[in-house]
Amino acid sequence: MSVERHELLQEDVGAYLLGALEESERDRFEAHLNECPVCSDEADLLRTAVQALPRSVMPVPSPAGLKTSLMAVVQAEVRERDRASARRFRPVAWTTERLKRSAAALGRRPGLAMAAASVVLLAGVVTGAAGLYAIETATDEQPQRQASSRTIVAKFDKTRVPLGSGSLVLPPDRENGAVLRVHGLRPLEQGSVYQVWLKRGGETISQSLFTVGEDGDGAAAVADDLEGADAVVVTREPAGGAKAPSENSILTVAL
Amino acid sequence: MRLVQEGHPRAFELLYDRHGGAAFSLAYRMVGNRVTAEDVSQEAFLSIWRSKARYQPDRGSVRTWVLGIVHHRAIDALRRNLVHEKRRSSAEGIEERHEAPEREQTDVEAARREEARHVRDALENLPEEQTRVIELAYFGGFSHSQIAEMLQMPIGTVKGRMRLGLEKLRKGLKEKVA
Repeated sequence: MSVERHELLQEDVGAYLLGALEESERDRFEAHLNECPVCSDEADLLRTAVQALPRSVMPVPSPAGLKTSLMAVVQAEVRERDRASARRFRPVAWTTERLKRSAAALGRRPGLAMAAASVVLLAGVVTGAAGLYAIETATDEQPQRQASSRTIVAKFDKTRVPLGSGSLVLPPDRENGAVLRVHGLRPLEQGSVYQVWLKRGGETISQSLFTVGEDGDGAAAVADDLEGADAVVVTREPAGGAKAPSENSILTVAL
Repeated sequence: MRLVQEGHPRAFELLYDRHGGAAFSLAYRMVGNRVTAEDVSQEAFLSIWRSKARYQPDRGSVRTWVLGIVHHRAIDALRRNLVHEKRRSSAEGIEERHEAPEREQTDVEAARREEARHVRDALENLPEEQTRVIELAYFGGFSHSQIAEMLQMPIGTVKGRMRLGLEKLRKGLKEKVA
């Protein structure tokens, strides 16, 4: 480590710890920290001051719905994890049943039936002898597609609305607007609403406002003619609605 | 923490109960509106849950670790949203913008307020120009060059004030504890 380099970089330590260096400067300073015990010791000392900064913030009440929605995501992921685990480790007996059914189906073809029977027998021996669990290799049934000519599934920003789902139901003729149905949205604090917008060309036109119940379900109307429209989107706005969206949309229905 | 890292929802819930309030308060202090603060807090806690993030006891308390994650998420939110632009035009967004309404306090809340007052006192004892650059960087998410432009001062001065301010803050906190 050169003295010149140390003198050049030592002043960066505060900005580094506060996250205020540009990326290239940060990389350069981190490389310097690895070779300069003086700066490294100073950084360790000053870090305690930086770590105290968030503690200077006066507590504000957090929204009651935050914990509810967070734990709903966690519980949903636990259930999915458990289901995935159950799929991977089903008892061999279950597989044997499936093989028996396959063998029966093959009964009309003697050669194949013989082979299948051997597999059933082998599987039975394995089950009886070791009581092992086999890894289920059969693919799960694909989720049923619900798409119809008049229902379009909404795409959610999963970072902000992790449990969101919903769709836009269009009447047979697009001129009569549509109904947007949503599930898994967070109930908003008093003073905020969800706002529905229609995008057509360069225009974004307000359609309606809605709120959701504690269960996260809600519905809203899209009143305008959808002919030639590009998308229906939803944002969160102050009560009474906004003249233009103030944030990126939390859901989009591409038309 | 071990149970959280092993994916136990009840342990995670306890982690949220203990630190969720401080996390939301920090996020709100930084982003300046409750909806975005809620997003930031949720993202931070979900990242802890999903990544089973590694907490290292030798690098500070659990609270310091959680608030560090919230801070990073809030900086991300500031940089990707228009919030930064809106606040850039007015320094008021960086100042302490909210005193929680007076209401019945639990012992834990009272202790947190006391702790906050203690750190704020130390921060406010710094020369104003040092407090300002520290707050703009930490709570505002601004880089040293942005701060230099906003305050119309050389970058070297900004860096120097950050370093001096942190050193004085460290000593001030130490004296208060002693």
